[in-house]
Parts: sequence; C-alpha cells; structure tokens
Amino acid sequence: MDEFEEILQDFLVESFELIEQLDQDLVELETRPDDLELLNRIFRVAHTIKGASSFLNFDTLTHLTHHMENILNLARHGDILIDAAIMDIILESIDLMKALLVRIRDTRADDGLDVSACVVRLDAAVNGEASVEAEAPVPQAPSEPVAAAVDPVDEEEPDYSGMSDAEVEAEIERLIAIKNAEAVAKRTGGAPTALVEEEEPDYSGMSDAEVEAEIERLIAIKNAEAAAKHANKSSESNASADTQAAAPSAAIVPTPAPITQAAPVAKPAAPAAAPRRAEPKEDAEAKGATVEQTIRVDVKRLDHLMNLIGELVLGKNRLIKINDDVEERYEGEAFLEELNQVVSIVSLVTTDLQIAVMKTRMLPIGKVFNKFPRMIRDLSRELNKKIELDISGEDTELDKSIVEEIGDPLVHIIRNSCDHGIETGDVRVANGKEEGGTIQLKAYHEGNHIVIQIIDDGKGLDTDMLKSKAMEKGLITEKEADGMTDKEAYGLIFRPGFSTAAQVTSVSGRGVGMDVVKTNIEKLNGMIDIDSELGRGTSMKLKIPLTLAIIQALLVGVQEEYYAIPLASVLETVRISKDEIYTVENRSVMRLRDEVLSLVHIGDIFEVERVFDNSEHAYVVVLGLAESKIGLIVDTLIGQEEIVIKSLGEYLKGIEGIAGATIRGDGGVTLIVDVAALMQMAKSVKSTVGDEAGGTKKLGVKNSASDYCVMIVDDSKTDRTIMRKSLESSGITLVEAVDGVEAMNILKQGDHFFDAMLIDIEMPRMDGYTLASEIKKYNKYKNLPLIAVTSRAGKADRMRGVESGMVEYITKPYSFDYLLNVVKRNIKFNEGL
Amino acid sequence: MSDQLQQVINKQNNALIGDENKIDDVVQLVGFIVGEEEFAIPILSIQEIIKPISCTRVPQTPTYILGVFNLRGSVIPLIDLRARFGLPLQKHSEETRFVVMKSGDDVAGFVIDRLTEAIRMPKRDIGPAPETVSEAETMIDGVGKQSDRIVTILKVHKLLERNF
Repeated sequence: MDEFEEILQDFLVESFELIEQLDQDLVELETRPDDLELLNRIFRVAHTIKGASSFLNFDTLTHLTHHMENILNLARHGDILIDAAIMDIILESIDLMKALLVRIRDTRADDGLDVSACVVRLDAAVNGEASVEAEAPVPQAPSEPVAAAVDPVDEEEPDYSGMSDAEVEAEIERLIAIKNAEAVAKRTGGAPTALVEEEEPDYSGMSDAEVEAEIERLIAIKNAEAAAKHANKSSESNASADTQAAAPSAAIVPTPAPITQAAPVAKPAAPAAAPRRAEPKEDAEAKGATVEQTIRVDVKRLDHLMNLIGELVLGKNRLIKINDDVEERYEGEAFLEELNQVVSIVSLVTTDLQIAVMKTRMLPIGKVFNKFPRMIRDLSRELNKKIELDISGEDTELDKSIVEEIGDPLVHIIRNSCDHGIETGDVRVANGKEEGGTIQLKAYHEGNHIVIQIIDDGKGLDTDMLKSKAMEKGLITEKEADGMTDKEAYGLIFRPGFSTAAQVTSVSGRGVGMDVVKTNIEKLNGMIDIDSELGRGTSMKLKIPLTLAIIQALLVGVQEEYYAIPLASVLETVRISKDEIYTVENRSVMRLRDEVLSLVHIGDIFEVERVFDNSEHAYVVVLGLAESKIGLIVDTLIGQEEIVIKSLGEYLKGIEGIAGATIRGDGGVTLIVDVAALMQMAKSVKSTVGDEAGGTKKLGVKNSASDYCVMIVDDSKTDRTIMRKSLESSGITLVEAVDGVEAMNILKQGDHFFDAMLIDIEMPRMDGYTLASEIKKYNKYKNLPLIAVTSRAGKADRMRGVESGMVEYITKPYSFDYLLNVVKRNIKFNEGL
Repeated sequence: MSDQLQQVINKQNNALIGDENKIDDVVQLVGFIVGEEEFAIPILSIQEIIKPISCTRVPQTPTYILGVFNLRGSVIPLIDLRARFGLPLQKHSEETRFVVMKSGDDVAGFVIDRLTEAIRMPKRDIGPAPETVSEAETMIDGVGKQSDRIVTILKVHKLLERNF
C-alpha cells in the first residue's frame, strides 16, 4: 500500500504541475489555434494524466481525460479547428479534471463528481456539433452514474460511421494492435520477440511514411508490454487485472495517428506524434541547457533551516553588542583588532547565509500570475468585454509563504478591474479609446520589497461617486466625506461592505473582495497605493516585504519599555514640539507637510504607565499600512535592527497589537508591534496626548502628609537620626538607606514612590555623586528632587553636585527648620492638600 | 520436580510484578511554597528550575502574567503564582525561583516563593481535592498527606491553560 501511496503522490504532484502550465497554453492556443507545438503539449498533458490515472485505477478521471484526449488528438491533426465554443468545452473539462484531482488528493478516490455531461459535450464537439451544444448546455440527469469500468474498445466504437476509408483502416489496425498488446500483457512473462514474428506484415510494399508509422506502432507495443510487466511487478492483488487492461490502451492510442496522417495528408507531423513514453527524452534534449537541475525538498526542512538561521542572526546581534562593549573597555589592546575581524566575518557570513537560505524559499511570482490569463479570458467572455492581459516580471521571486498569500488578493483586484474598471466596448469607443481594454500585471523589486502593480485603462475611480456611495451605506459621515483627500476616498473601496456595483453579479459587487485584499496585504505587512485618473484608468500598487521570518525593525522606547516596529511599515520619523499637536474632536492630530495626520501615543495603546512626561518634544513614527497612515508618538527612538520574529506561544497568542517577540542582543525580550492591529486600536483609544501636563498629577494624589515619602541616604546613624528628627514633625513618611547601593535597591523595588531624596556625599560602596547620576539614568526619576546633605562645602563640590543632578545643596550643620523647609519646597508640600 | 520449579518461577514472577506495582504506586513530586501553603507538581512536568531573570511586560494581559522571558532563545510566558492564587504580590527574594513547566507543547514559567524538596509519595497517601468548586480549586489534582504536613498537588495542564 505504501508503494501505491508513493506512486499516487508522484502522480498528484506531476498532474498539478502539468495543469498549471495547461491553463496558460490553452489560452494561448485560442489566439494561435494552429500552433502544433502548443497543441502537442496540451495533448500530452491529457494523455499523461489519462495514462497514470488508469494505472492507478481512477476510472472517472480516465474516462474524462480519454475524451479530452480524443478531441485534442483530432485538433492536432487538423481535423477540427479549435474555436471559442470548443475551447469552452475543453476548458470546462479541464476544470472538471482539476476538481477530480483535488478530490483524489483529499479523499484518495475520484468518485462523487459527475463527468458524463461534460463527456457528452466533448463527444459532441468531436462530431462537429459543438456550437449547438454549447449554447444549450446539456440538461443531462446529473445523478446518472458514470460507467464504472472503462472499456477502451467500447469507447471507440461510436465514431465509425463518420470515418473515411483511411480512418477505418487505421482503426482496424489499431484494434488488432490492442488485441495483440492485450495478449502480450496477459502473458507478460512471454518472450518479446514473439510479438515481432506475429506481427510481421509485408514491409516491402510500404511507403516511407508507412514504415515509419509501423515502427512507431511497434515501439508503442513494446512500451505497452514493458508497462504491463512493470504493473504486474508493482501491484499484485486485484489492481493487476485493471492495469493490464489500462496500460495497453495508454500506449496504443497514438498508433492510429501516424497512419491516418501518412495516408491522406502529407504533413510533416510524424515526430510530433511519437509515443508519449519516448517524448520526455526528446523534450529534454530539445531544451538541453535550459533545463535546470533541481531537487525536491520538503518545505518543513526549509522552515527548519530558516529557524536555525534566525537563531544565528540573534547570536550575531549579540556578538556585535559584546564586541562593542569589549572595545570600549579594552581600548587600544592588540587583540581587539583580531576580535573585530572575527566578528565582522561572522556577521558577513551570517548575512550571506541568511540571504542564501531565503533564496531557497523563493518562488517566481509567475506561479501566481499563470492562472490569470485563463481568468481574464473567462471573465471577458462572461462580461462581454474585450480585455487583454499584459504580464511582465513574472520571474520576480519572493518567499513561498508570500506567494501563497498573494494569490487571493490579486484575483479580487483583477476581477474588480475587469468588472468595474474596464468599460464595455461601445462605451470605450464612444470615449475615444480602443475597443479592447488592457490590464497590465507587473512585478518588480524595489529595495527589500516586491512591488506588484495592476494597471487598467478603464474608467478610473470617481471620488465623488465613492464618497456618496459610502455615505449612502453609512460608512462615513458627510463631514468626513468633505474633509477627505483623493487618496482617502480611494481607500473607501477597501471598507468591508462597500461596493460601487449597482447590482451583485457573479463576478463582483458583494463588497467583500477588496476587504479581503486589504486584510491579506496587511497580514503580509504590505502597503497598497492607489492612483487613478478619471476616464484614464486605475493603478494599484502592492508593496510587500520579501520575507517574513527575519525583518528590519525600528526600535522605539516608551518610559522603560521597548517595542519593535516592522520597518516595512515605517514611512518616516519626525521630531515635533508639543505645540504642534492639535486636538480635533478628542483626537490628536498634527500637520505633516500638507497632510493632517492623526496621532496616538504608544503608551495609550499598550497601557504603559506614564510616570513623567515633561520634554518639550516628541518623536512621531509615521506608520503606513495598506492605504492608511497614522502617527505613533514615542518617547525615544533607539534605532534600526534586524530582528527574528518569534511567536509568543500558545498561552499568549492573539494579544491585540502584538505580532510576536524577538530577542535582542542583550538577551532581553522585545515585543513586536502589529501595525495593522495597532491602527484598529488607535481608533478606539482615548487620546491623552493633549493633557500630558496633568499626567503627573494623577499619580501623585496626596491626601495627607504621610502620602509624601522621602528617602534619607547617609552612612552615619547620627546624621540619619538628625534628618529624621527634622522631618518627623511634618508627618512625612521616611525611608532610610545606609549607602548608595542600598538606596538604588530600594528605588528599584518600587515599594515607595519617593517625592525627594536626601543624599550624603561621602558614603562607602557608592558615593552621593554616583548615586545621583545612576538615579538620573532612569527616565522615571528625571524629576525626582535630589538634595545633597553634606559637610563638603567647596565650590567644586557644589558644581559636581549640580552636574550629577542634585537640585539643592545643604551643608552640615543645618537647623531642623531649614532642612524641613527645603524639603517641603521641593516636594511641593501643602500645595496638593 | 518440574512442578516445584514452576512454583519457584511463578513466585519470582509474582514478586517482580509486585515490585512494579510498588513503583507505580509512588509519585514523585517537587514541593514549593507560595504564600503560606506548600504545593507540589509531578517532577516529570518540570522542564527546569531557574533563578529569576528579567522579563518583559506584555500589555493587555491579566496581572498574574508578568510578561515573557528569554529561556535560551525561546520566548516563554511568566506567570506569578501568588497573583494567580489571589495573594498579594511580593518582591522577589533570594529564594524566589522560576519553575518552567510543560504539558504537551505548552510551556510557561511560574514564579514561586521557595522550593522545598523532591517528594516521593505513595499514591494511597493522596486524597482527592476538596469538593468545593471555586476557580482556584479546579487546579488542584489532589491533597497529599505526609506525617507532619499537607501538600496540595496541582494540575499542570490546568496551570498552563489560558483563561483570559
């Protein structure tokens, strides 16, 4: 059974690959119906699938492909001309074939789909009634079961009546061949030479062409024999009986072809009709150098490789950081240069390796583009418009996971272009355009992005119409509509529920498609840019990062926290002063050149407690995603770094606004912002950007004297007692520390919120100056008043105190009242009461 | 003679089976203190026990989720058991540990106040969880009685279950 499964897998992989090419070939065929090379290629696909499926016992599929093969065979001999009607039937049968293959992939069986209607139409097309049949689709009872066993001889019979003499002759020959092959197949062990003896006709009387045909036929029989032998070997049970019958039929079908050709027609078609089994070799020879050497690799292995590279990149980041630290500490030492070299080589190789592995996951975007010619063809027939598709840059490569995601959005965009964009022929002519519309599909690289552009020369987007439609559907208010720029109005088409179509057609109009486009592109961290000119056409630009696992990110800080923002979504960063922030309808906005940008503070999104905020300036990171833009206010910009996206795991997955986490060079974890979610959240977050001035008040609500808290740092017990005595009377809460280290620890524990600190300068372990500068390193203590209490009264000492961040300098000895007053002044005692 | 031999063999077999039963009857647990109480979890559900390291806060999570930390390249959530059990938070001390537990593919670190010891406990000494049905108690697998104390055995898969 395993062996069968293996064969089946190979069959499915091969079939789907063949079909992918098939669609494109067929559409091309319609424009060049007499291209023999194309026809042969298409014929071979049907033939290959038929052969393999009969071997694997998929009767329905065999039945269908057999009839397809018939019609294609006739076409490539020029007996019928492929027109649009016949093409429709062929395409329909190919769709059916695809459905069957999908079914086989999913259920391991090909039953449950009715092919009889299609088969009847195929047969009708063979008999030249195609046009009639196509107009009135056969109302065949769909429940009629398909003949389970496909007898190759039976199927051939109905054609006899319409055959010319030569054809009848060929048919007879063929039947004999089948008989013989069957006989051979039955006793597969038999000597192959016996066949030649049996078959030996009078060669001397034959024309050259006939001899050639005869040789071909013999090869076919040989092949059939070999196939039967092989079949016998590989499958022992009941399968063998079927395969014996099937194998000869697969191999023999081409045999009548050379003979029919040889007799009445003088076409140089013999090589094209060579039996299929010999074909691949020829193909390979013909293509020669162009065939690339490839191996199939399981995607899982590539994913694993990519994960390992991710770890390596993290290691590299860490190494670079350590190298910087070491460089600082051991400046000028000889070994540094060596270390530097090693680090830079490792980092270089890691980067190269990352690119190389990324490339192994790359697929040409042509894989997605391939299905569009067929789609356009169907749509243009359905909509009765002339539409041409112009594809360029299909060799552009991008990550497999992205290729998989990009298909759906493109389908929706192109459907939209066909339905809403391109006008009908007469309208186009009336507007002085060519009758046929064109849709261009382009792909190209731009930096670390791939750009996919869909350009149509249709009627373009009418912003007024879009706005009024949106208002009609209650998506926007009139006021919003008035303030909209053209770009924002174009963006309306991405709103769920929005549609400009007057009525829902099978092609579009449900108001879902463009919403799908937006969500999918956002998922890929991509951007959408729409440009349109009324009456001239629309251009849609999708900008998508090349890969998803390792990305460039902008690191930003808010209070003591850091977040990583995918650089792909960052348009620019600006430093603004707080005065430039305006409040409009409870939302903060700023003017960025000639645009109005709405703002949101990262702290409001991620519930960061804002302990201080007194700086005059703010940094705004302008984020762009799909077609929308927003300004994110942050406290600090740290810089750009290459980060590896790690999931937060099952327990924490789905946290709004967080796309994952990454590990930084220092070993800490930094969360990655999910820009799409952030933009959604920004809509509902109440802005606090404007009232930051009052921000500190809410934290320091003081109801009584004991809510104030002051730390006393002094190594001398006496001095601590004196200070305590001075302040005790006021009722202020006092905390004592014996030196700088302890003071730092108390601060870090955060059990108290200190309003001021009294610091002695001379202390063991950590002195007052060091303590002060350590404290000032923390953003949240920037405003904490530090008061030096010391016996050092020199001017230089005072200066040092100021440098390290002290606000007051009290020299010992001092009076109780003086100390109390200084403290009260600094903590704004009484003001809050 | 052969009967005798058979008997001896049977006896030996029985003894062996008995041994196996005895091994099966003992559970190995790791005991730790959270708040005032001693808890225990099966030793095999512990991936490792580490000293506290820094972690990163994750927004929009309940307070008992302290955030995520980096355990040799994996990002792992950190849950404070004190907060999980509704006890007031406490500063990490010298004895605080992160116990990294796993159940299937789920992994998380749990902050505990102090480790006690590895406990071998016969199954018969483990009673069922008290039959009150409050959220905290559904995490209890059973109660182990030892000569001088009572240990609450927790369900690891329950601890690792997301409930927000």
